[in-house]
Amino acid sequence: MNKRTLKALLSATACAAAISAVPANAGEFDGVTLQAKLIGGQQYEALYARIAEWEAETGATVDIISKKNHFELDKEFKSDMAAGTLGWCVGSNHSSFASQYPSLYTDLTPYLTPEFIAEYVPSNIAASKIGDALVMLPRAQFDVSALYYLKSVYADEANQAAYKEKTGRDLTPPDTWDEYKEQAIFFTDAPNFYGTQYAGKDEAIVGRFYEMVVAEGGQLFNDDWTPAFNSDAGKRALAWFVDLYEAGAVPPGTTSYLWDDLGAGFASGSIALNLDWPGWAGYFNDPESSKAAGDVGVIVQPQGSAGIRTGWSGHHGFSVTETCDNKEAGASLVAFLTNEESQTLESSAGPLPTRTAVWETVVAAAKDDPYQAEVLTAFQAAASHAFPAPQTPYWIEATNLIYPELQAAILGDKTIDEALETASEAVDEMMQENGVY
Amino acid sequence: MPRIKLPTWFVLLLPAIIILASVVLVPLLLSLYSSFTPYRLTRPETLWKWIGTYNYQKAMGDWNFWVAFGRTILLLTVALNLEMILGLGLALLVNRVTYGQRALRTFMMFPMMFSPILVGFQFKFIFNDNVGLVNSALQSLGLSDTAIPWLVDGKLAFFAIVFAETWMSTSVFAILILAGLYAIPSDPMEAAKVDGCTPWQTFRHITLPFIMPFIYIALAIRSLDVARAYDIVQIMTNGGPARRTELLWTLIGRTGYVDAKMGYANAMGYISIILAVFFTVYFFNKLNAARSELGMAG
Repeated sequence: MNKRTLKALLSATACAAAISAVPANAGEFDGVTLQAKLIGGQQYEALYARIAEWEAETGATVDIISKKNHFELDKEFKSDMAAGTLGWCVGSNHSSFASQYPSLYTDLTPYLTPEFIAEYVPSNIAASKIGDALVMLPRAQFDVSALYYLKSVYADEANQAAYKEKTGRDLTPPDTWDEYKEQAIFFTDAPNFYGTQYAGKDEAIVGRFYEMVVAEGGQLFNDDWTPAFNSDAGKRALAWFVDLYEAGAVPPGTTSYLWDDLGAGFASGSIALNLDWPGWAGYFNDPESSKAAGDVGVIVQPQGSAGIRTGWSGHHGFSVTETCDNKEAGASLVAFLTNEESQTLESSAGPLPTRTAVWETVVAAAKDDPYQAEVLTAFQAAASHAFPAPQTPYWIEATNLIYPELQAAILGDKTIDEALETASEAVDEMMQENGVY
Repeated sequence: MPRIKLPTWFVLLLPAIIILASVVLVPLLLSLYSSFTPYRLTRPETLWKWIGTYNYQKAMGDWNFWVAFGRTILLLTVALNLEMILGLGLALLVNRVTYGQRALRTFMMFPMMFSPILVGFQFKFIFNDNVGLVNSALQSLGLSDTAIPWLVDGKLAFFAIVFAETWMSTSVFAILILAGLYAIPSDPMEAAKVDGCTPWQTFRHITLPFIMPFIYIALAIRSLDVARAYDIVQIMTNGGPARRTELLWTLIGRTGYVDAKMGYANAMGYISIILAVFFTVYFFNKLNAARSELGMAG
């Protein structure tokens, strides 16, 4: 089944679905103008086109005053909070950023029915809260990483024989992170072909390290927010990154890579294994954009030595500001943008939904497309192991203290012990300085 | 009630004074004040909590800050000298051209016309280890069979940043020095010829003293630029990896805008200003000395 058929099917399903959003009475918000700051980008525009429907239904007007990526929006929100320019009502939010703005967004619970909230995936709702306050409604932009791999390197008979001889095991896509490392080193033929790659800076590498620590049976923070990653689990997790770099199984510039670099790398056909987000699935298998097209396999992410699979996840959402002078209208718009019809529309382009019913619809619609079915099966399994970024306002600040130390260990400037100790001390000092404990 | 009559000059200057005060003085004073507070962008109320010199003490005791400080001085020293030497050579060459000099001058200014952000992206791509132009060329020519980590290795990344800075700003020196060359009177040059001076002697004892004031002006301008280098480095390496290319303003920018710790960032900024003040004073002293030598002091 091609993409167009899939879209048509999904749209039909959506139209047939009973929309159980917070019902807005016709003309309920006549004359109300809501200013919004939303994430910008081509992939988000289809949903924004629906705003006109909500305007027609409620009589309100939406004035989008800013469209930027989340990192730029983050700076803008912080500037707005500093300057007190909070006259706008609705903002795009992200589970990794939300905890930084504990006073910016209002609790949406009073404006929604419990039945409506129950229609979302419970883990996504849990990750949309700061304490007990539901500060955003999740959008159909759920991110958790699964394992993409090149099928041809596993089908290659010479590879199979060599791997069997080397390890005594059959060559199949890895189910553990140790096996993953072993295979990545085995596949590498630098500088033309690398076993794997990883995001090597900013929040990206700390997120990957975080999920690896969890998979090794540890945690990044204790319950009182003291750093907990300078542990055996943390050392094993960091060793995974260090070993791959030392073995030359990743491109030497990987410490400067972020998501776009990784996407381009796997699409170039020169990377065997790639833990990555669902948004890349279509791109990787599109002959127009990817040399790996037709050769891409996807399975659930591997597990660490503790038997736990990695699963650092995040999702986009929409929030209503505490200063909004018509929170009911704001909540109504946010509910509309994340209701079943909206999520079905967004999911038809590839992103993962955050509503239980839409998951079922998407999986059913993809059953005749083998690749899409494989992708959705893998990501549905991946989602069941998902956990959010640590819910502290100091997450991003902590990542800025941790990532240079991880890099120092990877590049050999420091030992693993030294790097984790320095990072742990810096995070501890920062938390104390902020009065966390 | 007697009317207060303000002096005419003051009344005439008042609009300029008000504008300057509001766009320069107020932000300056506010940022100075905030450097004595734990001000965080996400918690506006912290602006009113006075913590004295805590931020300054913290910055002074921060090893990473001083490493970034030292690296910024190193970048200043290397980039300015390189730009000065290359700019001087370029200006001397262009000065000798008899045909198409105007077109050459315009062409020479092209790098200055690019936004530093674009220059950063351009060199980030050129020096990329995997798909970069430099590695592809080296591998195609058989000069290398490995992916050289230009933006990862500390020394290579520093070289790449200096290269980008030099590529973009050498023409600043070239244009200013060229202006100096045009201003040299012909009498001493002709006298030197008559006295049988070699080209080197003519350059050393006549040309160079005449263009030194222009060189010092260029050095003063560029030292301020490089001391607050941010855009190119931010795009190419973001101060990494492992802080290997961290400069003062990548550190300050991340502290202020990403970590939202504006009070601490401002304290670091005020300490960093020492650097800019020192170089400006130093080059202006040198400029005055050079002008005195030419009998132009005033």
